[in-house]
Amino acid sequence: MTTTNPAEKALKGQPADRRVLAPRVASRHRSGAVWDHLGVDGVHDMGGMHGFGRVPVEVDEPLFHEPWEGRVWAMWSAIGATTVDRFRFTIEQMPPATYLASGYYERWLWAIERLAAEQGLLTSSDRPPATARPSPALVAGEGWFRPGDSVRVRNAVTEGHTRVPRYLRLHIGQVERIACAWPNPGDSAATGRYGPPELVYTVAFDGGDLFGPHADHTLTADLAESDLEQP
Amino acid sequence: MTETTPAERAASLERELHEHGHVDPEAIDASIAEAESAEGNYPSPALGARVVARAWLDPQFRQGLLTNAVETLSEYVPQGVPISVLENTPKVHHVIVCTLCSCYPSGLLGNPPTWYKSFEYRSRVVREPRAVLAEFGLEIEPDVALRVHDSTAEQRYLVLPLRPAGTEGWDEGRLATVVTRNSMIGTGRPLAPGAGNGRQPDA
Repeated sequence: MTTTNPAEKALKGQPADRRVLAPRVASRHRSGAVWDHLGVDGVHDMGGMHGFGRVPVEVDEPLFHEPWEGRVWAMWSAIGATTVDRFRFTIEQMPPATYLASGYYERWLWAIERLAAEQGLLTSSDRPPATARPSPALVAGEGWFRPGDSVRVRNAVTEGHTRVPRYLRLHIGQVERIACAWPNPGDSAATGRYGPPELVYTVAFDGGDLFGPHADHTLTADLAESDLEQP
Repeated sequence: MTETTPAERAASLERELHEHGHVDPEAIDASIAEAESAEGNYPSPALGARVVARAWLDPQFRQGLLTNAVETLSEYVPQGVPISVLENTPKVHHVIVCTLCSCYPSGLLGNPPTWYKSFEYRSRVVREPRAVLAEFGLEIEPDVALRVHDSTAEQRYLVLPLRPAGTEGWDEGRLATVVTRNSMIGTGRPLAPGAGNGRQPDA
């Protein structure tokens, strides 16, 4: 069975929408104004949303469906003077209707256009130094929480970037272990640089608490220490 | 001239980046070709299948995967981000997702399939995982604990599926032929012996 994303299908049926959107987007990135608004409570934060329907599965799908997708994927390496968090944060600035109507690599393209402009790569041969990715090695030392501790997810309302999904805000879970140490994503998104590492915990939540009594699963997420508090 | 399609916008972006010396179109061709052929230890479902097959045969390797996957996998691929291996048992089934974007064990399995990045999967599998897995043909018994892992940080996950019955005495190469990509994400099981034709299924 071969299906495609309904959003892509809808877009193909409505080429006028794309014509309206594209010139506005293009002129904005040419003018150097990278984003016209900030905010993170976006449509990208999809966990638990209703209404999307059956998961479309394409059997034996190719790595790239069209040649331009592979070229966009490969161009990611050109915008090295940034962080993965700023890349994600840029995608999160897409207007919701555009996000929903865009395929995966269209969202990449949208972000790479803006980050290339931000780094001056479309107008100059000068290239800002690439941002080095931190090592995945764990930092030594103990954190605020221990395995088995109950923790509450802070209400991460921000106009910046957060990796706390909405469906976990203010819920209480149990720390399972330290997952890794990583620079704070909000800071990395704002600055395009990686700061000092912070402990990240794997926290387990009761599915029924999150989504109602019919949900009998356990949900885990990896949350930064600064996103957690004692209940 | 107004650019309207993603293909035109991508071409325009590449042209401008190339004019200023920031990309080399031939290097882009080469990266795409390398990813599409995915030979040797290039990240791909086939590479993941080799790791799983070895874990089924080699208890020490399996233990290393479960306790220190980054180091244990370093002989296959350098891990730019931490990775952790989740072992399925007769009583626990793991499934992975990234609700916020598309985080996936790409360092081992390559780029994720489109369905993994779909709005449908991202929205629903955290809320109604049994229903979603049933759509994949995977019925999880009520007495099996289901654990859904939302990849919200830089930690990546690989599911180590249960070895299917009927594969006793198989070597690593033969075992790898039953390990599907979906079985390493948690939306499938390895193929039953005899069901496959030796081809690596993607879905």
